[in-house]
Amino acid sequence: MRNQENKIFANIDWTLFVIYIVLVLLGISNIYSSVYNPEKSNIFNLDTEHGKQIMWFGVSLFFGIVILFLESNFIRKYAYWFYGFTMFLLVAVLFTPPINGARSWFGFGSVGIQPSEFAKIGVALALSRFFDQAHSFSDRASSFNKKVGLSNLWGMVPFILKNKETALILGIPCVLVLLQPDAGTFIIFTSFILVLYREGYAGNMLLFMVIAIIIAVITLLVADSSFELPLTDIKLSGKAGIIITLVVLVGIFALLIKNFILKRNRKSLYKSLFGSLLVAVIFVNFIEVGYSNILQSHQKVRIDLLLGKIDDPDGDGYNINRAKAAIGSGGFIGKGYKQATLANAHQKHVPMQSTDFIFCTWSEERGFIGSFLLVSLYTFLLLKIVVIAERQRSHFTRVYAYCVGSIFFYHFLINVGMAIGLAPVIGIPLPFFSYGGSSMMSFSVLIFILIKLDSERKIVLQ
Amino acid sequence: MRNLDNRKYTIALVFLLISVTFTVRLFYMQVVDGQWKERAAQISENKISTYPARGIVYDRNNVKIISNEIYYDIHVIPKQVKDVDSFKLAKLLDITIEKYSEKMAAAKDYSYRKSSEIVRQIPPNEFALIAPELYKYPGFFEVARTLRVYPKKIASHVLGYMNEASPADIEKDRYYKPGDYIGRSGIEKMYENYLRGQRGVKYYLQDAIGIPTSRYEDGKYDTLAVQGKNITLTLDWELQAYGEELMKNKLGSIVAIEPSTGEILAMISAPDYDPNLLVGRHLSKNYTKLQQDTLLPLYNRSISSKNPPGSTFKTLMALVGMQTGAITENSSFACNRSLSGCHNHPTARNVSDGVKMSCNPYFISLTRRIIQPGKVKSIFKDAALGMDVWAKHVKSFGIGEDLHTDLPSVVRGKVPTREYYDNEFPSKRNPYGQYRWAFSTIYSNSIGQGEVLTTPLEMANIAAAIANRGQFFYPHFIKEIEGEYLPDLYTNPVKTTIDTTYFRPVIDGMWRVVHEPGGTARRARIDSLNVCGKTGTAENFKMVHGKRIQMTDHSIFMAFAPKDNPQIAISVYVENSGFGGTWAAPIASLMIEKFIRGEISDKAKETRVLEANLIPDEDDYLKK
Repeated sequence: MRNQENKIFANIDWTLFVIYIVLVLLGISNIYSSVYNPEKSNIFNLDTEHGKQIMWFGVSLFFGIVILFLESNFIRKYAYWFYGFTMFLLVAVLFTPPINGARSWFGFGSVGIQPSEFAKIGVALALSRFFDQAHSFSDRASSFNKKVGLSNLWGMVPFILKNKETALILGIPCVLVLLQPDAGTFIIFTSFILVLYREGYAGNMLLFMVIAIIIAVITLLVADSSFELPLTDIKLSGKAGIIITLVVLVGIFALLIKNFILKRNRKSLYKSLFGSLLVAVIFVNFIEVGYSNILQSHQKVRIDLLLGKIDDPDGDGYNINRAKAAIGSGGFIGKGYKQATLANAHQKHVPMQSTDFIFCTWSEERGFIGSFLLVSLYTFLLLKIVVIAERQRSHFTRVYAYCVGSIFFYHFLINVGMAIGLAPVIGIPLPFFSYGGSSMMSFSVLIFILIKLDSERKIVLQ
Repeated sequence: MRNLDNRKYTIALVFLLISVTFTVRLFYMQVVDGQWKERAAQISENKISTYPARGIVYDRNNVKIISNEIYYDIHVIPKQVKDVDSFKLAKLLDITIEKYSEKMAAAKDYSYRKSSEIVRQIPPNEFALIAPELYKYPGFFEVARTLRVYPKKIASHVLGYMNEASPADIEKDRYYKPGDYIGRSGIEKMYENYLRGQRGVKYYLQDAIGIPTSRYEDGKYDTLAVQGKNITLTLDWELQAYGEELMKNKLGSIVAIEPSTGEILAMISAPDYDPNLLVGRHLSKNYTKLQQDTLLPLYNRSISSKNPPGSTFKTLMALVGMQTGAITENSSFACNRSLSGCHNHPTARNVSDGVKMSCNPYFISLTRRIIQPGKVKSIFKDAALGMDVWAKHVKSFGIGEDLHTDLPSVVRGKVPTREYYDNEFPSKRNPYGQYRWAFSTIYSNSIGQGEVLTTPLEMANIAAAIANRGQFFYPHFIKEIEGEYLPDLYTNPVKTTIDTTYFRPVIDGMWRVVHEPGGTARRARIDSLNVCGKTGTAENFKMVHGKRIQMTDHSIFMAFAPKDNPQIAISVYVENSGFGGTWAAPIASLMIEKFIRGEISDKAKETRVLEANLIPDEDDYLKK
């Protein structure tokens, strides 16, 4: 028994553990600073946000220790069960009374639990388990890629059809969180694309995504506008303009292919070229219709604000304007601890300052030095997770590590990106920094499971 | 199997790329771009002004005549209001329930958490009744502010009033902000810059709603309000109050000057009003009432009304005549009534007689010699040259000149000149033209009825100049400004063009006007006090429906006393009351006695004046 214990702690990645502890402690001190009230200056006061956050940290540590003492086989074995349990919670939460227009919370007195936070763990475990079983997955994926051609951008649809299990594991929670509705968590679930990518799925996926984002941004920019065709009186919508441009581009490529490519290769290139055009046109229409008809007005406004189509610092752009002012006013060295004048709980200039916009408090008080430190810490954490993933011999652990990395990456990307005006305003927490019990526990559990699985990297194959 | 291991680099690269992007963006926002610091200051910082107490104004005997009093505005924070009985509260605050509802709706509209004004400027005596009840209405509270109070209720025209700075004021002087008060007239306006002091500023941090949360940088940039300067005026409040009492139920003015200094002892314009009417929440209502009053209580007759000086002007003609050599002290003229009427009196055998008897032909003949000295053959050219000399001497008494009196909008009288008759008389469109007029055209000026015009202030200054035997000080109100020097302007005498020696016969005549039988102002006599005076009657024309209609004359009296070492020079105008000796002279004498002796010996004279109602038409002026 003693031997067992030694083994557990012997192989723990202390670096990861220390980063985790540092982030949590910085996060708590940041919350303490932002809500500091001389009358409730005791940091452990449970009436305050920092007091509660410390309590949640304690609970998280407890779960963490429990996880460390579990058999890792137990985690593997019950991955689907846990997934099933979190999906059940996601269904059950739909029957609760809505809070702020969404059914996302189970309320227990003053404490609320957000099941979607734990669903991330469920999905991560389920995906790992699935890929672990499907050892030949990479082969299947690569043979598939070969068959339809690397340049084929529409590979996603047949791929998903072919890999029903993956689609199902990801699709169920996506649909369930959209029903709440909770767009933020939905976007977090798309982070698993990175995992799929690493596990051999369509290599051009990232290129595809970059092109898709460019086309989407252009489409959104011109969605409401129209222009006159040069030399004529014909008025065209912005969408038509994009499609015409795409057709012209494809025509130019076709001519290039005709003149510079060997005849025997031409046919497949033509095929993928025109196929891509078809996909692109469908995509443009999809974005345009989605933007105009499906998105709710406040979501449209957030996109318009991000793209700079509208500027309304005291109206629709209030949140982001205050957030940017708080961050920007921090200067190089910041205003100092407890010295934030915008992003604090008393002035309340920055809304949701202790949760979604917690980065503002940090940046305002710590300045660029602090911002840089925090960005570096997160980057270090992400890269550390990649390193950990890559040293695994267990397929399960590797996939799981990438899942954790992807989730953290997306949270970091969107939360910080939103605060500095590079991403749309989507209410998701910054791991270990944002106030909230559910996110603190779920992020901690994600990390501790990783630490546990990683600590057995040498045992697994023994 | 394709090697997928390289994909870990792609993923790591994506992570790094995003981090670098964020770092660059953060560096730009936090270090390079200043706009967010500005924006943050705009959002989170604000300032409030602290107002200093306005300077106190004292009379010459250091009695407060303008002071400050705390008024109360009632404010409300809608969020804190709990089951209020609107009817009861409206009644308590002395406003209609409609007005109350309207104000409450506006307050809620503005903000639930910020305070709005419900009632403004409740005077302390009214607030004393409200204060004990106010605690029953949570959310309602008082905000103190200081406003002017005029404890002696006197000298409304001199002291002026204050109201809110207009956009034009703010445009002119950036010191003012909307809602500030500014001296609008009188001393309040004239000495605004001394009285107002210097506003202080407190910088603070505010929350998202705009409520201050803490001081900015511990008040490092705050400035303290600087108290306004106290000033002392030359007015004698008791004399002023007495004069106002005498002028009750009359139209007209009194200006009293200390000849040896030019200090204005009293300036009364009747009808007047209680200056406290133009303070507080009823200001605009009261102002409108005063403005609509047909007797023009807002009009300061002492400095704004121009009238022919009438016979008082004869004193100057005698002086100019002697100075120019046109006559001597002993010149005698027959009472030849070809150009004007006169009353029955013995022949004036010298200047003193002429003044005493106010003989019109005497002064017409005298003035003819000034205007037509016969130096040039052409009577027209002769008259033009004579006119230049005449005008120069008359102007030296300050008529139509800038007397530098420290009140806004002091009107000047007029001394007609050669140019005036050449180009503007009888009308600008159809003037006489050069060398087309002579003494016969303008002789009315000899007896103060022509084109010459004086204001009551100028008349009092003439009296002071005669009292001083040929010099005067610019009449002024300011005696002392806390910690400041008075301008030399008020301490340097202004010389008239008349030599001191020529004053004796004129002053002698003026003494006889009051003290000798046959003098025109016997009513001005005071036992054992040598009063020198001269009556006058200003013809009074009024345009009614485009026609020039002659109204009852204005009664004028100009005087100083005592004869030697004069302490007071005075002019009294009583409108529409006829001959100057009847009303103006006794009023002047009462003022003189009040000032010199502090009490009145002839109670019958006083009672006669106090009881007289000389206002023409209906008694329709504002009741105080």
